[in-house]
Amino acid sequence: MSALAQSAPPSHRDPAPTYRRPLWPRVQRRITPYLYLAPTVLLLVVLMLLPIAMVIGYSFQDNVITNPNPVFVGLDNYVKVVTDPVFFTAVKNTAYFTGVSVAAHMVLGLTFAMMLNSPLLKNRTKALFRVVYVLPWLFTVAIIAVLWRMLLNPNGVVNYLLHTLGLIHQNVEWLASPATALHAVTFINIWAGYPFFMVSLLAGLQGIPKDLYEAATVDGANAVQKFRNVTLPQLRPIIISMALLDVIWTTQQFALIWMTTGGGPINVTEMLSTYTYKLAFSSYKFSLASTSAVIVLLLSMVLAFLYVRHQRSRD
Amino acid sequence: MSNGARTVRGLLVASGAVALALTTACSGSSNPASTSASGEKVTLEFAQWWEPELPAGALQGVIDDFQKANPNITVKLLSGPYASTKEQVVAGAASGTMSDVVGLDGAWVSDFTKQNAITDLSALMKDNGYDDSQLVSQVAIDGKTRMIPVVNFVYPLFTNDDLLSQAGVSAPPSTRSQFMDDAKKVTALGNNTAGWVLPLSLDAPNGVQNDVMSWVWASGGSMLKDGKPDLTNKAVTSGTQFVKDLWDAGVVAQGSFTMKEQDKVEEFTNGRVGMMIDSLAHINLIKKENPNLKFSISAIPAEDGYTGARGIPYASWGIGIAENSKHKAEAWKLVSYLMSKDVNSKLSTLANAFPGNKESTPDFSNSDPLFSKAFDIYKAGTPANEFVGLPVSEQLMRDYGEQLQLALNGDESVSDALKNAQAKWVAEF
Amino acid sequence: MNLSARRRRQTAAQKALLLVGLTVGGLFAGLPVLWMASNSFKKNTEIFALPPKLITSGFSFDAYTSILTDPTKVRFFINSYVVALSVTALTLVVAILAAYAFSRYEFPFKNALNVLVISVQAVPPITLLIPYFGLVVALKMYNTYQGLILTYMVFTLPYAIIMMTGYFNTLPRELDEAVKVDGAGAFQALWRVLVPIAVPGIVSVGIYTFMIAWNEYLFALTLTKTEDMRTVPIGIQLLMGQHSYEWSEMMAMSILGCIPVMLLFLFFQRYFIGGMTAGAVKI
Repeated sequence: MSALAQSAPPSHRDPAPTYRRPLWPRVQRRITPYLYLAPTVLLLVVLMLLPIAMVIGYSFQDNVITNPNPVFVGLDNYVKVVTDPVFFTAVKNTAYFTGVSVAAHMVLGLTFAMMLNSPLLKNRTKALFRVVYVLPWLFTVAIIAVLWRMLLNPNGVVNYLLHTLGLIHQNVEWLASPATALHAVTFINIWAGYPFFMVSLLAGLQGIPKDLYEAATVDGANAVQKFRNVTLPQLRPIIISMALLDVIWTTQQFALIWMTTGGGPINVTEMLSTYTYKLAFSSYKFSLASTSAVIVLLLSMVLAFLYVRHQRSRD
Repeated sequence: MSNGARTVRGLLVASGAVALALTTACSGSSNPASTSASGEKVTLEFAQWWEPELPAGALQGVIDDFQKANPNITVKLLSGPYASTKEQVVAGAASGTMSDVVGLDGAWVSDFTKQNAITDLSALMKDNGYDDSQLVSQVAIDGKTRMIPVVNFVYPLFTNDDLLSQAGVSAPPSTRSQFMDDAKKVTALGNNTAGWVLPLSLDAPNGVQNDVMSWVWASGGSMLKDGKPDLTNKAVTSGTQFVKDLWDAGVVAQGSFTMKEQDKVEEFTNGRVGMMIDSLAHINLIKKENPNLKFSISAIPAEDGYTGARGIPYASWGIGIAENSKHKAEAWKLVSYLMSKDVNSKLSTLANAFPGNKESTPDFSNSDPLFSKAFDIYKAGTPANEFVGLPVSEQLMRDYGEQLQLALNGDESVSDALKNAQAKWVAEF
Repeated sequence: MNLSARRRRQTAAQKALLLVGLTVGGLFAGLPVLWMASNSFKKNTEIFALPPKLITSGFSFDAYTSILTDPTKVRFFINSYVVALSVTALTLVVAILAAYAFSRYEFPFKNALNVLVISVQAVPPITLLIPYFGLVVALKMYNTYQGLILTYMVFTLPYAIIMMTGYFNTLPRELDEAVKVDGAGAFQALWRVLVPIAVPGIVSVGIYTFMIAWNEYLFALTLTKTEDMRTVPIGIQLLMGQHSYEWSEMMAMSILGCIPVMLLFLFFQRYFIGGMTAGAVKI
């Protein structure tokens, strides 16, 4: 916001009639990038920054929404949230859930994208597989949750198949057992999320100039070397951008967890998102919920900052 | 240079378009539903989750009759998914867009009252000279009625006749020790059958109310004392201990910790569990999905030797009026219409529930004989649901549910679980 | 001779290995969906029967006919298309402009704007719900297409901008400079040169945008109230009742929802196929 406020004025001070003066091209060059960004900034500032500012405001008041006259309480809410042992459980679970999900998304996405891009197969075969591989992406979260609840039910298909294959001898309560629930939820999230990586990487693979591979072949590189020295470096910017975004999104994954386990059994799948939701809509502590949200925001901003700095150092 | 100017102009057009979209949105679609200012005609919004639950067109039919009787009132039915109703009411109340009349669950009343989202119905009843003695129940906070249960769904014990007779049990159990024995016998049949099914999912924690606390209420116990939490008393302890004993005996179907009401009924319908505590609303569903399943309903077993009246848990479709409604008088007309003797009979028949008006009788002539049996059980006992009207009652169920899961999992003793739950409840009050 | 025979054998082995790998991955991706499709043809009880069967005696299209003959439910689909397609088109235009600025210009506050773009999406939506809802009501966009479309644009823009910036960065600057030397402006350089080359990226961002708008539930529910404005995910949730779920109808509705999206993907995936654009990127 401040960026706009401080750099836009030249255009106001130099109204259109003056544009024949030699000053104009320089000014024009200065303001052009802001004009390109104007629609974006306008949307984000009006529709996102305002509500975010309100949430930040909530986090410093004693209780909002349910209380008509909230009082400023400084950092009290932050102290309360940070000292809540459940908050730490939530952070720990979120870290596991996010870490494993993002890593798996990346590995699966890249593997599948490479396989689907192989020149060894006919285009039609690849087209068929591409559609199959993108399937998990096509469904709304509610259905994914319901589907996997059915599949992972103790009397469900997964247990039946494992039983038939002789891999288990007793039904496993995948989602209902404290020992397996977190892994099961993470697995569902991996299944639901890898196509996003795959599609983006598939597109990225098209952008790699063929002569790079040809040059590597001339140098006698084998497939692994080509992958390490050509493919990976070329895809790196895309991979890093997507990893950053995926981390931010996975941290916020709410519906999937809520509709499969509700943060349970006990609290083994309690995440920052379910913790925040319960504060807001189950306990009606909107200020504490906002506080927890602001903490997530701060953590993500650190990530965003590191990302931007990394982008800069690359240039 | 001219190219540069064109670039600038193009970009100005683009951002102008965005700004325009934002402003046209501001000015354009301002045709709100209520047009009261223009004349006598009033449009009421009625937000609920009942329409999708009832036979297609049924609720609209009732509303059409109401509109015929009150030509100056138009009612718009707004249906939302049950699981999200609560957030929608909270958000609507916070931004002043709440519907005039809203469907409510007893568990939410205290919270909405605190948020000042739903209005005082006692005052409306007084203003309109309404005789509230005809109502079966009202949910009041601090002496002021905020919600009126329109229809009630009771939760008796369902038993699978075939499984029980295979296990050598001739009649549904009426005491806890009989229940334990029968459950063990059914489980012993093997082939993946379980004696009992217990949904303890934490996202929809009403299993705590329907399937756990019901044991306490059935024996005349209470989880409250003078309106304050009292989880460590003898009745709650013995009820919880009984659930733990059932768990340890291995008679509870697998998957409890994330099971929901909707899953429970599928397990029963598929003949994999012998007994469950469940809503009467499911009778038709079970019959429709598995016509071959023979089952009975009976009162929830009580402690051995208990002879007093049995509490039967129930859930209601409640109704309330928004505090910020501009048409409270018309809204009340709709509410009293839905509560009137004949309409309420019709609604309860449609929903397979029991009426909220004392004089109404559901029409059992076309429905399953089990319903009239259930109506007898209902009349012989007392409806019991102590969660109704409690502050943050959903969170209370969740707190208790989490501690119960710990106890069942063997991480803490029943008495510790109750002590911890009690401490959490006291903090919430 | 001998060498080429060995290479051919090697290639055949690689191909077989690849096919096995693809099949295993395909099962992982496709089996749950196959199960969903099979359930959409079953009666509710059969879904939970043991042992599970793919095709049962109760096989029927009832779930599909009951959805397709219900004008309210068909309307959910229409709404979803209107919203998702508009969001995709608008997001792409706005994001391409922004990405061009980030990729080709140096200007004060570039990093600040970049951090802004990334971090606006870092607040859990569930906490934003109430203030955001208030804002939408104040802007008189409650229960309108505009409200939903602009909301989803806010959700999808950050990713779209970041990815488009990434794609533009991989395209050499000489490309647009060459056009500019020919007397065209930056704007033309963008639309006539960069955009056509970046089509694979644009398509993948477009698919992503479409999917987000198509599948979002929480805001779709909160920002609309009448049945004629509801989208498919809400229609699916409406089948999840207080006491029981309409399992087979839920499954049928999501299958119906995914078919057109699948066709879209099939159509656009030719842009992913190697060789088509790779040549153009070479410079």
